[in-house]
Amino acid sequence: MDFDIIFGNAARAAFGPEAVILALAAIGLNVHFGFTGLLNFGQVGFLLLGAYGTSVSVATFGWSLWVGILVGLVLSVALAVALGFPTLRLHAVMFAIVTIAAAEIIRILIGSTDAIGLTGGPLSVSFDAGAFYDLNPYPDGPHDRYGVGTFEFTGQQMWVITVGWVLVALVSLVVFLIVRSPWGRVLKSIREDEDAARSLGKNVFSYKMQALIIGGVIGGMGGVVDAIKTSGADPNGFRPQVTFFAYTALLLGGAATYLGPVLGAILFWFLREWIESFLRQLTAEAWLPDAVADFLSGSEGVISVAMVGLTLVLLMLFRPQGITGNRIEMQLDAR
Amino acid sequence: MPDDVMPRPESASADTAIEPILTVPPVAGVPKPHPILVVDELTRSFGGLRAVDVDHLEVERGVVTALIGPNGAGKTTLFNLLTGFDRADTGRWSFDGQPVSSPSPDQLARKGMIRTFQLTKSLAKLTVLDNVLLGAPSQVGERLSAAPFRSRWQNQEEANIELAEELLDRFNLAHMRDELAGTLSGGQRKLLEVARALMADPVMIMLDEPMAGVNPALAQSLMHHITQLAFEGLTVVFIEHAMDVVTGISDWVVVLAQGRIIAEGPPWKVIHDDEVIDAYLGRRRAGG
Amino acid sequence: MRRLLALAGLVLCLVLAWVAPSMAQSGGDADSSQPSVLEGTLRVGFDQFFAGVEITVADQSGTKVGQAVTDSEGQWSVTVPGAGAYRVTLDESTLPEGIGLREGFESTVEVAVTEGASRAVVFAVGEAPKGTPFGERAAQTVFNGLKFGLIIAMSAIGLSLIYGTTGLVNFAHGELVTFGAVIAWYFNSSWGELNLIVAAIVTMIVCGMLGAGLETGLFRPLRHRRLGIFQLVVVTIGLSLLGRQVIQLFFGAEPLPYTDFQVQERWEFGPWAVTPRELVTVAVIIVLLLAVGMMLQWTRFGKATRAVSDNASLAEASGINVNRVVLMVWAMGAALAGLGGVFQGLDTDIDPFLGFQLLLLIFAGVELGGLGTAFGALAGSLIIGMSTEVSTLWISPELKFVVPLAALILVLLFRPQGLFGIKARVG
Repeated sequence: MDFDIIFGNAARAAFGPEAVILALAAIGLNVHFGFTGLLNFGQVGFLLLGAYGTSVSVATFGWSLWVGILVGLVLSVALAVALGFPTLRLHAVMFAIVTIAAAEIIRILIGSTDAIGLTGGPLSVSFDAGAFYDLNPYPDGPHDRYGVGTFEFTGQQMWVITVGWVLVALVSLVVFLIVRSPWGRVLKSIREDEDAARSLGKNVFSYKMQALIIGGVIGGMGGVVDAIKTSGADPNGFRPQVTFFAYTALLLGGAATYLGPVLGAILFWFLREWIESFLRQLTAEAWLPDAVADFLSGSEGVISVAMVGLTLVLLMLFRPQGITGNRIEMQLDAR
Repeated sequence: MPDDVMPRPESASADTAIEPILTVPPVAGVPKPHPILVVDELTRSFGGLRAVDVDHLEVERGVVTALIGPNGAGKTTLFNLLTGFDRADTGRWSFDGQPVSSPSPDQLARKGMIRTFQLTKSLAKLTVLDNVLLGAPSQVGERLSAAPFRSRWQNQEEANIELAEELLDRFNLAHMRDELAGTLSGGQRKLLEVARALMADPVMIMLDEPMAGVNPALAQSLMHHITQLAFEGLTVVFIEHAMDVVTGISDWVVVLAQGRIIAEGPPWKVIHDDEVIDAYLGRRRAGG
Repeated sequence: MRRLLALAGLVLCLVLAWVAPSMAQSGGDADSSQPSVLEGTLRVGFDQFFAGVEITVADQSGTKVGQAVTDSEGQWSVTVPGAGAYRVTLDESTLPEGIGLREGFESTVEVAVTEGASRAVVFAVGEAPKGTPFGERAAQTVFNGLKFGLIIAMSAIGLSLIYGTTGLVNFAHGELVTFGAVIAWYFNSSWGELNLIVAAIVTMIVCGMLGAGLETGLFRPLRHRRLGIFQLVVVTIGLSLLGRQVIQLFFGAEPLPYTDFQVQERWEFGPWAVTPRELVTVAVIIVLLLAVGMMLQWTRFGKATRAVSDNASLAEASGINVNRVVLMVWAMGAALAGLGGVFQGLDTDIDPFLGFQLLLLIFAGVELGGLGTAFGALAGSLIIGMSTEVSTLWISPELKFVVPLAALILVLLFRPQGLFGIKARVG
């Protein structure tokens, strides 16, 4: 059992592009759910549009990558607006279901064979993200590595994650600035009781819409990073559970805190990859009975996702406020 | 012409407001000298049940009006309709001289019609101070474009904080300023909600059972505040069950039973009205 | 347990069998030591794969360089001599009856492949433009819609009643459905090889016990700890993920059929051609729905359930044992959900995602009707089922789930409380 490799894998996942994407998705959800109380269960739809907006613009229409990124973000805004009008007046649970449904509708349409000409349909779409990598300041020779021991990245990966984490930091800062203002106070009041906010003259629908758009665009940025990282997009990468992973990250770190979603995303990927690598090493151990090794081998990913589910349950049972949240606040939340 | 009929609200000091109301005959649906709220043919049904069926109602400006009636009389539903939290089946009403068309709660609130709720809606995970600050009207910092730049809203915020602290002081909540509102007792929450409503700079404040669950000492001071508010020119409408409270602070009482206004008048007259007594005792009204 | 090995590789949770082409493509690093491969999957929607279809590959000059037949997952692959352009031809006559290439797609496509890479080739198949008159097809889809709607409705009963009595929105309800389908599969094909009818009855008992166990072991203690609605929802989401993954761990990701009632002759009733198993499905569900409806209306338990839904503390105060009512509701709801899984599995084969796919439609049915109204849930489910199937008259079957979901959003735009729901009073 080589714990260096396990740790290296886990650390790479924790600080790699996947964690950046998850952090952005979770920050967006934090604006929706953490601060405004919008139970958005379709966050993955915003990621999808961010990723496909970018990919399709470049791959199908031949536009520049920068235009593609813009298209991806504009599409996220469009989804927020289109989704918000029919749904923002709904009961929280209904809102949750409708947002999942909307994200699924988009995924099915984009992934259908009818859409092959535009989005690649059930096949993935891929494009040349060269415009992004041309700006890479890190030397990226075949032997260039950055990091310590097994925790290391290539030059290209370094460039993606540098840009990614800077983006996460900037977005977090903006969220911090707008939420600690009277504007943020209105959001929180809507989360606590929207009729109270209404009775004091706040236009609840408008604030919810603003929150939905802001959180959605942040999710869309996650999708853009995803598209650049993989130089493409695949409809299967945008199933409903991506949203639930983002909730796991958010709740792990602590909803309605500023750093919670970021810490949660890092922790999420660290633990998930740690478990998967650990199981992979374990199945190679000679002392393990054959039957057990057979059972485990190839199922490491299935088990690690099962652990995500278990984590959610245990988190709600024993530390609903997450690692950074305030316990007293959670106890007030008995509605 | 209109100036003759309707005096400016600001000029309606306590004397000029209360004196005329005493001259109004105690008849259901009677017109008032300076009405701030005029309601006509307002109805709302739930299934087959007529919860509210008001032919005509006027609320006098600058006085304290109590809305009483047995359980299920439609008092809260009437509040909900007037403040836009529920949609009427038929009816029209005007507030502060302007007809209310397609009422939405936030628009009405911005026009100065501020209400509280029977089941308090304190914002549990906001501090007591933030609860009150939320009430402040037209805040620059509530616009997204200004929100990230503290300098643009800081001055207004500081002024609001000063005002909020005064209000908290008035309602004996100053020591709880930085506590989360969810940690307050039920009675304290009622007070907080009234303080928050006052922070919104209302023209008319509508309180749904403000005394329920408030301990007697605090209730006494709340009653004092309410009379004080009316004295300062604010119009107060409140729903209440306790008759001593009603007779103690209201200038005018409107009695609702089965959705209809069955009587109105000064408290000392209304509580001796046979029809009112019948309604409360649940006897069948003669002649139905 | 050999089947577990078949899982290998297709891990990261998003896996359905048809992912294969896209994975191959993204994973297709040009490596000259590897042969070049053309491959693909023949499928419709997410649940229909076509086996035994012949695919021929020829080079530019028309010389045949390889041939393949799709396997049970509809997958095929042909190794080609090297980089270059090839013509891939699908033999339409080997497609199942009623299935053909979709309009606008040719049976021969030209593709280029680089050295050592694998390249996915797509043939868009779907229901062939039939000779059958529109009226007959319409009648058939209406029947399919009725059947699907009934399956949704029966699975929805538990979700709706549990929400009504406890306020819990159970996102793991879909996994109860999957669990039913899978357990019945095990009873049917390995543990004791029970006849599917017997297996279904045993499954209902097992699912009922699971439901009761979840209530007593997890949700009742959680209610006593006064967890907020959102926390409870998250618990069920966690359970849903956990359940689905565990099922996948044992059952595998590939769809499998039951061993009974697979090949049946269709009986003709006027415009309808219906297999006996479909008739039984519809009949059994209608009987069960009527039974549940009558029970809710007239029995002591039914009245108690409605009383608890109306106001739990009032019911408690008037001497109703709320915990027992909730326990019964869980047991009954889970048993019916499990049976719903069996019927759905009979219709489409069984995989670990069966229930989660159905869950969204169950929610849609319950919401369309109006949260917490029993009749609304039934009507909503039938509308959802019907619109899913009838839409295939005009649009491609792989898009059929879009229609009910879009319908849901549209209805809520005009009636936020659902079709039969009642608005709650504020304050």
